[in-house]
Amino acid sequence: MKDIITLLKPRFYSFKGKGFLKNNKGGLFKLLLFGTIGLLFWGGIFAVSLRVLGYFKEIAELGDILAYKLLSMVLLTFFFLLVFSSILTSLSKLYLSRDLPLVHSMPVPSYKVFIARWIESTVDSSWMVIVYTLPVFISYGIIYQTGPLFYFNILMTLLSLSIIASGISAILVITAVNFLPANRIRSIFIFFGLCFFLVLFFTFRFLRPERLVDPEAFATVLVYLKALKTPAPPYLPSTWAFDSMKALLYGNITEGMFQFALSWSFSGVMVFMVIIIAEAIYFKGLSKTRTVQARLFNYRSPNSFFLKSLSRPVRAFTVKEVKTFFRDQTQWSQLFLIAALVVIYVYNFNVLPIEKAPIKTVYFQNLLSFLNMGLAGFVLTAVTARFAYPAVSTEKEGFWLVKSVPIPLKKYLWIKFFIYFLPLLILTEILIVATNILLKVTPFMMGLSITNILFMVPGVVAMGIGFGAAYPDFKLENPAQTVTSFGGLLFMMVCAGYIGAIIVIEAGPVYNLFMAGIKETGLSAFEWIWTIGSFVIVFIINILAIVLPMRFGERKLSKLLI
Amino acid sequence: MIELKDLTKRYSNLVAVNNLNLMIPKGEIFGFIGPNGAGKTTTINMIGGILAPTSGSVMICGINMESYPEKAKSKIGFIPERPYLYEKLTGMEFLKFIADLYGVGDDIFLIKSREKLKMFFLSDWSDDLIESYSHGMKQRLVMAAALVHDPEVIIVDEPMVGLDPLAIKMVKNLFQRLAKKGATIFMSTHTLKVAEDICDRIGIIHKGSLIATGTPEDLKRNINEIDADLEQVFIRLTEE
Repeated sequence: MKDIITLLKPRFYSFKGKGFLKNNKGGLFKLLLFGTIGLLFWGGIFAVSLRVLGYFKEIAELGDILAYKLLSMVLLTFFFLLVFSSILTSLSKLYLSRDLPLVHSMPVPSYKVFIARWIESTVDSSWMVIVYTLPVFISYGIIYQTGPLFYFNILMTLLSLSIIASGISAILVITAVNFLPANRIRSIFIFFGLCFFLVLFFTFRFLRPERLVDPEAFATVLVYLKALKTPAPPYLPSTWAFDSMKALLYGNITEGMFQFALSWSFSGVMVFMVIIIAEAIYFKGLSKTRTVQARLFNYRSPNSFFLKSLSRPVRAFTVKEVKTFFRDQTQWSQLFLIAALVVIYVYNFNVLPIEKAPIKTVYFQNLLSFLNMGLAGFVLTAVTARFAYPAVSTEKEGFWLVKSVPIPLKKYLWIKFFIYFLPLLILTEILIVATNILLKVTPFMMGLSITNILFMVPGVVAMGIGFGAAYPDFKLENPAQTVTSFGGLLFMMVCAGYIGAIIVIEAGPVYNLFMAGIKETGLSAFEWIWTIGSFVIVFIINILAIVLPMRFGERKLSKLLI
Repeated sequence: MIELKDLTKRYSNLVAVNNLNLMIPKGEIFGFIGPNGAGKTTTINMIGGILAPTSGSVMICGINMESYPEKAKSKIGFIPERPYLYEKLTGMEFLKFIADLYGVGDDIFLIKSREKLKMFFLSDWSDDLIESYSHGMKQRLVMAAALVHDPEVIIVDEPMVGLDPLAIKMVKNLFQRLAKKGATIFMSTHTLKVAEDICDRIGIIHKGSLIATGTPEDLKRNINEIDADLEQVFIRLTEE
């Protein structure tokens, strides 16, 4: 046990050593900012949960059933989220961390190293899920006026579920690493990325949450009630947690404690199973990941006409960037998520009940389309934050190369800009065009949306590259994490302001133009001046959004000491 | 040719390099030695254009690094102490990447890359990802990349770290051959034997200041011990 605690100590020390509060104004600011955002988010979940459960409580008979169904769904989602989060964390902690060679060179049995890493992984993967689902469970306690035993049960049950989820993930990971072929670790990432998408998709589809708020979708009330009362599978750990909480909400302490004991006894079994399996195969798998990969195929250079037409430095950076991205399979799961995001985004517009809206349909469709530009802009910001913002940081400690080659930093940053601009433009235009087609908007609105996005994407990408260059972190193992830094936050805030400003400035003139089109009347002289003036202002803002962040990034990056 | 004039670098209160003046003519191998934290890597980074000096200037083949950084850098082959590379590229792709940045034509690249890979015993690994290379192989690849554009000036920080004896011997011979052909080599090292063997002149930096320069014999005369080796000279000059 002493060895395990010792192995965990560097983590405590590094946490302690971050020095948030002393001599670190930036750190304090970050802590306060993220703390406030986190607290607001927590409060929001709490308020919504209280409201929803309060509403359910008021509905006689059906209310309780709905509340329990919701609890079951939350626990099921919670459990699957934990499993996925643990898979990624344990894979990284057990097989990919840079300090593993050092730790394994010490005179400590490998199973103890495993246990220490597994504890870390369990805590890392579950704390946030627990913290942000707690308000939902606390709301149940308040609405159903339970005693302190219920709250104690919540904490302990969630802890037990976390251990079980983390145990299942660890067993999956250490087994997979031993059996998957040569380029194993990276393949695992793709494999789990895909699995995550499928699990999420099927869980959601099986639950069919939209039917629960629409009793009309059921033939009779009886069928509806039956659907609501369908018990969750009894072999799932989330069901034991649900049964335990439900029993305590009813005041049935014996049943509650039985389910609680069931959950904890399984946690215990999981701990033993994980340790036994790890002792047998963890080190074997680790050794396999540390050996040189078999040469499965020759990496050929693309020799396309497009690449040949580029100047040498541009070609060099483009080829490097594209190859580095696609050969790093850890990025692939992100691409799956983007694909899922696009599908869900477009699907949501497909199922919008526009006909049931109290506003006139044509007007409502085009209003939605206009607001959709802002929404697509925010999606673009999120994707830019994930891919373009860390573009400079992805050079990692190889940034010395960029500084030592005879290419000005300005050119280097513009090359980065164009590498990300094109794919992001295509992605955002797909979102806008697809949703506009589903909304059946007027040609004017379609043209406006396409043009607006065409001008907005360069601004957002330039901000991503510029702020990413101004606040790079070449030391991070995963450069994508830079987005949670001060610079990343600043980028997102400035982007939100930029997109918001464009939407607000264009709102008036677009409304006038749209209504004039519908009514088939012309614009007054004042309206013409207003419209032209607004679009000129938007154009200037777009140009500034491209130029200023790129200059800012170049200036800061050139002063950076490496 | 390298010329450093009043080169100074300050980090807040710390003077990492203090008023350094040096002139290294064409075809000379200059060894730069000093204790840990003396300012060797800072100097090298300033000569390579990676770090801007607080004051003073760096001239590479008569080109001012501050005024014309790209022109000056195109003359340099830079080899850092720790070879952090793009792990997802193959060795050959990395060479191509560097060659493109230095404007080496495709035909010349093909000849040069094969020649350098062979020279640094990397031909069999050229199509493998760099992430599968050992530390020594990465070091050799960085050297191959630094030479692919036939630089007039070679700046190298600790060239022998991570290399096996065969590679060390090859690198020593290579540097001497390149210097004979007119390349100027600025080399920082802790391996005093290497410095003694191949450097025409040696500079000793201590606490950011250049405390002695000259041929190994000049340095020995400096401490009045003509039979001493470079290690003894180094210890005598840098001890408190």
